[in-house]
Amino acid sequence: MALSIAVKEWKLLLKEKGTFFWLLLMPVLFIVLFGSVLGNLGGSDVSVPYIDLDKSAASQSFLQALGEKSGYKLVEKNPGERDDQLSRIRDGKEAALLVVPQGFANGVSGQGGEQASVELYSDPTSQTVAPLKAAIENVAGGMRESKIEGALMAAGETGEQLQAALASPLRIDDKPQVASAGNAVTQVVPGYTVMFVFFVIISMIRRFIGDKTTGMTARLRTTRMTPIGYLLGMWLAYLVVALAQCSVLLAFGHFAYDVQLGDLGAIAALVITLAVCGTGIGLAICMLVRGENQGMAFTQLLTMGGAVLGGLWFPVEYMPKAMKTVSHFVPQYWAQKAFQDIMVRGDHLAGILPSLAALAAFAAAGLLVALLRFRGFMKSALD
Amino acid sequence: MSKAITIAGLAKSYEGKPALRNIGFEVREGSCFGLLGPNGAGKSTTMKILSGLLDPDRGDVRVMGKELRRNAAEIREKIGYVPQSITLYEKLSAYDNLVFFGEMYGVRGGELKRRIADVLGRVGLADRAKDAVSSFSGGMKRRVNIAAALLHRPRVLIMDEPTVGIDPQSRNHIFEMIRSLQKEGVTVLYSTHYMEEVESLCDELAIIDHGEVIASGGLGEVLDRFGSQAVYLELNGPQESQAQGQEQEQEPPAPAGFDRPERKDRGWIVRTNSPLEAIAAWAEACKAKSLPVKQLEIVRPSLETVFLSLTGTTLRDT
Repeated sequence: MALSIAVKEWKLLLKEKGTFFWLLLMPVLFIVLFGSVLGNLGGSDVSVPYIDLDKSAASQSFLQALGEKSGYKLVEKNPGERDDQLSRIRDGKEAALLVVPQGFANGVSGQGGEQASVELYSDPTSQTVAPLKAAIENVAGGMRESKIEGALMAAGETGEQLQAALASPLRIDDKPQVASAGNAVTQVVPGYTVMFVFFVIISMIRRFIGDKTTGMTARLRTTRMTPIGYLLGMWLAYLVVALAQCSVLLAFGHFAYDVQLGDLGAIAALVITLAVCGTGIGLAICMLVRGENQGMAFTQLLTMGGAVLGGLWFPVEYMPKAMKTVSHFVPQYWAQKAFQDIMVRGDHLAGILPSLAALAAFAAAGLLVALLRFRGFMKSALD
Repeated sequence: MSKAITIAGLAKSYEGKPALRNIGFEVREGSCFGLLGPNGAGKSTTMKILSGLLDPDRGDVRVMGKELRRNAAEIREKIGYVPQSITLYEKLSAYDNLVFFGEMYGVRGGELKRRIADVLGRVGLADRAKDAVSSFSGGMKRRVNIAAALLHRPRVLIMDEPTVGIDPQSRNHIFEMIRSLQKEGVTVLYSTHYMEEVESLCDELAIIDHGEVIASGGLGEVLDRFGSQAVYLELNGPQESQAQGQEQEQEPPAPAGFDRPERKDRGWIVRTNSPLEAIAAWAEACKAKSLPVKQLEIVRPSLETVFLSLTGTTLRDT
């Protein structure tokens, strides 16, 4: 009986094109959009226009070294475009313009007695300027090392002596503690997967309230259908929808953006718990609200508020301390944490058990409220 | 003949306001029983109680001889309930709706397919089975609404105003289907606003007002007991005057020993329980005044006049 109700719900969902938009297309669009905005979805190097007035081997070498730095793409401009480029910076259309002046090679070689310089015209409000400056200084540091190396070799130092003299007194021994580097994709893909699981509640509210107001619930009560069979059937329908939705979105992240999902067993356990949690809370809202509008308001509050507090849009680490504490009280936080634990930190089932327990607690609370309120829902449907 | 439905002393209140005060009637097995009354009279509440949707505050309800509350599951199998509202999934086809309802009644597989074909044929929609219900007219939706209540082959069909707002073609389909079900021994409890439907379909009826049965029995019995007869008189004169655009209507004399005549349609009417004497007296009175009689006849009482005399109002005014 419950399965027949679930099958009927799936047929109805398949007939409603809006459902696909809300539950699948919308989250995919969000993933693509925000993933692109936050970078790391391919071709996101910062473009740096430059003018080389020196046109020397030294200037070419400098620019090549800068271009090889990760995250920058140098774009040559003609000297005649200088004023236009400066105007673009002032208008906020470009972040910077790098000019290698005439005499750069002489400065580098020490001839003429003047230090070599480059001109960096920049928009100080741009976030990309400071890293660009650091990259230029890094290249300049390399050039300085070459210069010292040449001077020491001229003074008769051996190769070993040179290495010892130029070696940094400090070495960073990098020991990453996570399986892979987190980036925008590992934030956005699970983030929007979690967020849109809770959007399933909108469809649940429409169906429950629709059945009640049209008299369908009452009519079904004249058949063999039991009230608990109705509740189970409706829940099962949307539980499967949430599971399918999570699977599609994670698969999209994996195949389109090469998101490493990690331990698939742990991911499966998390997706199931998340789906039970989202639909369990959804059932509670369906039983609590008096009408569709009230239900929509509840759902918006839960999905949007939970997304912000749960760190679905940006990492929780960026939040003030008080908000970090509050975030522990929304299910989205635990779901996102568990996804990141598996995908970025390489955790397995044991590692995400606390998050699963928290999600299960939210699910249990939702289901309990739904069960307690169900009698009232049926009574109002039959009157 | 045994009773399909027996109701006695039925009462139900909503938040202290009584909807049913003391409803009682019996429905013979295989008959069509009309439940007539204005909005808020208690028809739907009575039907919901019979269908197991509401619990009465008090009273005895028996279906096929079994007490309703103690045998709710068994009785549910025997009852088909057609609610007043159209309760179908508009985006699904008629067929898919019927598959769903059939499964809710516990019918599955090949048997369900056969029954769906049967009920769609009964309501005249076999050729529209695969169309979405949203593409149907109001009357077609009502027919599918009824079909859904027949899938489990109920012995008692409870129909709550099943013809509200439908076209004549759909109404005829529904009437034919009810008559056919009756021939198969199905008992029909039919609630309506429309007195002509009760007169056309039902063997027995109960008139409900303010939560009480104010009249019940066989159609003829109710008409005889509660409907006063009348004599109708139409004169030639007023018509001719109207044809000439003049307002020269003349009130005919009252028949000796009877009430003053009331205006009705193009003539006049006198209500009486002695129609033959009234005709004779009225013909005499007209003759004495040299008034040309066009029509003088006994008017049979209708349910409308019964309802009017019992409640002081017409059904559609309420």
